[in-house]
Amino acid sequence: MDMNEIKEIFFQECEEQLAELESGLLKLNDGDRDPETVNAVFRAVHSIKGGAGAFGLDDLVSFAHVFETTLDCVRSNRLEPNQDVLKVMLKSADVLADLTNAARDGGSVDEARSRQLIKELEALANGELPQAAAVEPVARPAPVAAPAPAPAAAPAVTDEGFQPVAFSFDEFEANEPPAIEPTTFEILFRPKSELYAKGNDATLLLRDLSRLGEMSIHCDMDGLPALGSINPEAAYFAWKISLKTDKGEESIRSVFEFAEWDCELEVTLAGDHAAPGEELPMQPVPFDLSMLDEEIPASAGAGEDDDQVAAQQREARDDAVSAAATASNVLQMAQTARAPAESNRSAASASAAQAAAQQAASAATPTIRVDLDRVDRLINLVGELVINQAMLSQSVIENDTNGTSSINMGLEELQQLTREIQDSVMAIRAQPVKPVFQRMSRIVREIADMTGKSVRLVTEGENTEVDKTVIDKLAEPLTHMIRNAVDHGLETPEKRVAAGKNPEGTVRLTAKHRSGRIVIELADDGAGINREKVRQKAIDNDLIAADANLSDEEIDNLIFHAGFSTADKISDISGRGVGMDVVKRSIQALGGRINISSKPGHGSVFTMSLPLTLAVLDGMVVTVANQTLVVPLTAIVETLQPEASAIHSFGASQRLISIRNSFCPLVDVGRILNFRATQANPVEGVALLVESEGGGQRALMVDAIQGQRQVVIKSLEANYTHVPGIAAATILGDGRVALILDVDAIVAASRGHSLKPEMSLAAAG
Amino acid sequence: MASRNTAKKSLKLAPVLDLNEATALHERLLSLKGAPVVIDASAVERIGTLCAQVLMAGARSWEEDRMSFTFAKVSDAFVKTTQLIGVDIAPLMAKEI
Repeated sequence: MDMNEIKEIFFQECEEQLAELESGLLKLNDGDRDPETVNAVFRAVHSIKGGAGAFGLDDLVSFAHVFETTLDCVRSNRLEPNQDVLKVMLKSADVLADLTNAARDGGSVDEARSRQLIKELEALANGELPQAAAVEPVARPAPVAAPAPAPAAAPAVTDEGFQPVAFSFDEFEANEPPAIEPTTFEILFRPKSELYAKGNDATLLLRDLSRLGEMSIHCDMDGLPALGSINPEAAYFAWKISLKTDKGEESIRSVFEFAEWDCELEVTLAGDHAAPGEELPMQPVPFDLSMLDEEIPASAGAGEDDDQVAAQQREARDDAVSAAATASNVLQMAQTARAPAESNRSAASASAAQAAAQQAASAATPTIRVDLDRVDRLINLVGELVINQAMLSQSVIENDTNGTSSINMGLEELQQLTREIQDSVMAIRAQPVKPVFQRMSRIVREIADMTGKSVRLVTEGENTEVDKTVIDKLAEPLTHMIRNAVDHGLETPEKRVAAGKNPEGTVRLTAKHRSGRIVIELADDGAGINREKVRQKAIDNDLIAADANLSDEEIDNLIFHAGFSTADKISDISGRGVGMDVVKRSIQALGGRINISSKPGHGSVFTMSLPLTLAVLDGMVVTVANQTLVVPLTAIVETLQPEASAIHSFGASQRLISIRNSFCPLVDVGRILNFRATQANPVEGVALLVESEGGGQRALMVDAIQGQRQVVIKSLEANYTHVPGIAAATILGDGRVALILDVDAIVAASRGHSLKPEMSLAAAG
Repeated sequence: MASRNTAKKSLKLAPVLDLNEATALHERLLSLKGAPVVIDASAVERIGTLCAQVLMAGARSWEEDRMSFTFAKVSDAFVKTTQLIGVDIAPLMAKEI
């Protein structure tokens, strides 16, 4: 595994941590005060910081460190995570994500913004600690069992001792360690056996600790068994330490940074100037411990002058820290290799109990990372298998008339198996929409900030699963729609109050499965569509005639027309020339549909219906002018056999079919696709009632229905070239290629539009 | 201490008594059980917590057996480390040194 691969894993884990961070912060924002939520948030930032340090990503580390410090204030109840605080934290999470992305892909981040946030974060941490610097919180009123990890290179190390190799954490505050009155801390340190198993030695930790100030120590040997029953590699000693230092609690905790998960640690302030540990015999620790440094031979230390010793101490200390850091990283990497999802979590958990719980949780659902290409290859192969199986069945049926039941039974089983394999393979690609939804909360925050509106994003059904391709392509249209919803949909707080609404607007994002498709709804509780304005705009833009009689639904759907924007002024956020038409096209490109319903004064609901996968499709196989075509089943509302009395002529060439007292345009598919020159007789064929993009219905006329089956989509674009009116192709059981109809393009063509390439959907994956 | 000198066994500690040495040290100490023991820690340059634990467990077991368990010679590093980790070896120091 080379460094780049390890780095790649780190970034993948960063993404997970960032998602964790954001969802935790959002939970806190919703009033969740579970300490575990705070811990999870803290851990996420801490893990990113730790990993970033190992790769020398200084910007990321510095920001994460300040963020972490403020989070620690929340964790130790010194800072109440109210809305204002969380606002800053959510923004910080965004910047952290930006910094991570910049570190991975190059590029730059808004430095002014991150500097500003660093200031705000420090101010937050300072708010409760007026006498101490933000980065060096000292006064910790209550004992906190969970150790607060801090930078590895402790602030005690002055700038000349700074090592860029491992943990370049604290360059911006380590230079000037804040002056703190010497304070006496009481430290309880109880290592677990894991500490030693991981190559750490309590002796070294105590040595580092002793460097922070005046230390006296009591070793608790009560747990030590007799020699016969001792496990030489287990932990028995525990310590009570009294340490007078001017370096602050953070420096104490930083000594234990790489051991914090393998020990119990309590750091508390001793009573003011009280003699520590009266009840226990405390042994003072000698100040000069230089000969204990591994780098210095045991004989050294006698005749050296103080400066030299100090310098050596610093050096040795730094080396030890880098060594510890390296050891920790190696350990982490080893874990990464074994179970990537687990590694950072275990390294980041704040206490053993939590770590155990988490490991149990992740052990329950072990995961592996697989290249998407490999999955796609597998899916493609399974597609071929399905086709092959269909061909085999067909040729058996054609050739074997004796009906040997064993062959038929075998074929049926094979069919079932292939279907199961196909479903399972598809499930591999299926992923919850959660990451996309989570990204949206950031968009909402940013737009709300820019527009001065107060917005709350509510998401539901985040765990609804859909094909990865769909997820990937969903983010862009969804982002645009969210922007629109906040910018155009929601009113300003003043207007909302005037309308008797909560000044905080709500945008609701929901995902659910409905009849083999995923339905995503985006609802806002804003003013709804101003139909008068939309209509006027459409007339101004020559989209409709001034006297056109349009239904509410039709007016609402006008916003999907190209270049349509009702915002009075073009804002930064929306109205950049990319309108809802682009959204609609990208949804259609996914084989989806989008609809809007709006209630004046109550808001609008956009409903997107998308296929669960772009690899297979349930279709109706039909015949049109001796050609076999596939119509996506999702588009079909019903099928019917037209009667002569129901067919009416309309205008020169149009025909209507009367269905249950309403008229519906009849579309001759064979004619539109130029399969035949003259119109077919509707009575001889079958009409497929389809739902078209505007919500209106059309009757597609085909010659006959062959049946209904699941087909494997083969991209025409990838294998041949784009064909207007055709979405993709498939291979049928008899080995012939059948074209999959692009229903919306056909319907649009029937309205007089020609079959232009951009009108059709390129659905195939 | 002066008596039963003949039965005394001695153990010279290795210079580096780190985490890896704990098991070996444990075995060596166990093999010495049943007789008074004198530990020579004069060569010790480094001693970790695990080995310190084993030594202290040894001291206890010997005490239970009413046998003497003493450190004859100790290096500076050994003394300082035991002070650092709060282990008081003064009572175990051989009186004649």
